[in-house]
Amino acid sequence: MDARTVLEPAMEPHHGSVAASHIRVEDLTVSYENPKAGGTFIAVSSANLDIARGTFVTMVGPSGCGKSSLLLAIAGLVQPASGSVLVNGKPVSGPGRDRAVVFQDFALMPWRTVLDNVRFGLELQRWSGEDLTVRAKRFVELVGLKGFEHYHPHQLSGGMRQRVGIARALAVDPEILLLDEPFGSLDAQTRDEMGSELLTIWEQNKKTAVFVTHGIDEAIFLADRIVVMAKNPGRITEIIPVDLPRPRTIETMDSKLFIEYRRHIRECLMREARDARDVIAPRG
Amino acid sequence: MRVMSSPLEVSTMFRSTSSSNYRVLISTLTVMAFLTIWEIAPRAGLADATYISQPSRVIAAGLEIVRTGGFARDVYASLSEFAIGFALAIGIGVPLGLLLGRFLVLRYLLDPPIMAIYATPHLALLPIIVVWLGIGMQSKIAVAFVGGVIPILVNTMAGVRGVERSWVLAARSFCAGEWDVFVKVILPGSLLSVVMGIRLGLSRAVLGVVVAEMYQSQAGVGNEIMRYGSEFRTDYLLFDVLLVSLFGFAATSAVRALEEQLWTAGK
Repeated sequence: MDARTVLEPAMEPHHGSVAASHIRVEDLTVSYENPKAGGTFIAVSSANLDIARGTFVTMVGPSGCGKSSLLLAIAGLVQPASGSVLVNGKPVSGPGRDRAVVFQDFALMPWRTVLDNVRFGLELQRWSGEDLTVRAKRFVELVGLKGFEHYHPHQLSGGMRQRVGIARALAVDPEILLLDEPFGSLDAQTRDEMGSELLTIWEQNKKTAVFVTHGIDEAIFLADRIVVMAKNPGRITEIIPVDLPRPRTIETMDSKLFIEYRRHIRECLMREARDARDVIAPRG
Repeated sequence: MRVMSSPLEVSTMFRSTSSSNYRVLISTLTVMAFLTIWEIAPRAGLADATYISQPSRVIAAGLEIVRTGGFARDVYASLSEFAIGFALAIGIGVPLGLLLGRFLVLRYLLDPPIMAIYATPHLALLPIIVVWLGIGMQSKIAVAFVGGVIPILVNTMAGVRGVERSWVLAARSFCAGEWDVFVKVILPGSLLSVVMGIRLGLSRAVLGVVVAEMYQSQAGVGNEIMRYGSEFRTDYLLFDVLLVSLFGFAATSAVRALEEQLWTAGK
């Protein structure tokens, strides 16, 4: 396969069939009031994105490019300033049972054990018809923490904590899994291991996954499509389909095509950074 | 799957147990040494037992106090004043602290008066409390309440404010409403701080009751302490003082034990 054709930036056919996309982001702008600076900070500016059911989409870009804000807007945890997010064609107005979030800092309740943390979402969504503890136990086992059910988060390593975070999100059986730099605070090796395991779990049920990261390798390794973002203001600059065969292993990262993707994304990010400097430089 | 790192809990647990045994041993030795010197000093003519008394005399005085009819009445009076005042302090301090921690407007509204009371030595309010409530039980209950409620309130507020934003966000991501967030995140998340406030408030409430009884009253352990003092009966006086400090120590230790349990569970 000719890498060149694969790497052509694919412009979103935005007027395609709406029914096909599981998540649809329409002209979305997210802003935050910043009282200190006395103004409004635009985190995401006019983003458009279609995510098909069962695909794995990663968002990559520098800090401040709005990738997390975009994710939180899809989660319904951040209200957009304008534009909208549609899930299954219905506008998102807040969190919903169809979506679950895995947080960067794990966001586990320190007073709860591993098992009770996995139960947390089930309790809040008032699951019934099945013993919650039995269900939670199944998901603890799924992420490889059998035997650690009664440990508290502070007794676990970072990687193990995020396994709990993933189990908690999967336990409520969402259609969409939203991951906000979930492995951002882990060391490189743990990070690779977690990535492979996440893919293994994902391939069992192919939930739609949106994964925010600033790691280029991670973004390529996991994705069906990569959303590249830039900052000032935060925006989507390119959407790259990844045509690497699945299931993927660590060796995938050494393939010629993988390296080609890596180079392309790096150039793309560097070009944006350079352009940003050029804009700023004349003023200084 | 390989376990990436084994928890270090076990080794830490062993170390802390042995070091706490060591601590108990050293502390016991200190107390024993103190009591011995205290007993010997007057006998050796190094000090006057009329002023500093002696452990043996204090014990003898204690036996006599316990035998007399008034003792049970005094202990009952002091304990019930403390219990009622402190229960009120918890019953009002915790809910109010939770509210103030949760709602900014309320905090802005009530922060100045609370901080003013916090900075005031609560015993300085004693005379005016007696003017308002008389020299009966009510004024002691009020002093215990005022002493206890402020640390409880302030610590509860701090506990609520210490609840991580990400915990709340996680709860919301699972469709939690305000009440769910409160019950499943805010309450358990601030519990440790609440218990710490209760521990700090406790000693101030005990102090409040005893000093209020010493100031003006008809009954209670503090009242007895004052009477023995004016009669120059150091043995009797010290027994009562010891009683109060033992009570304070035991109660504080009990709360601290609870706190440590929460701490290890919720770090």
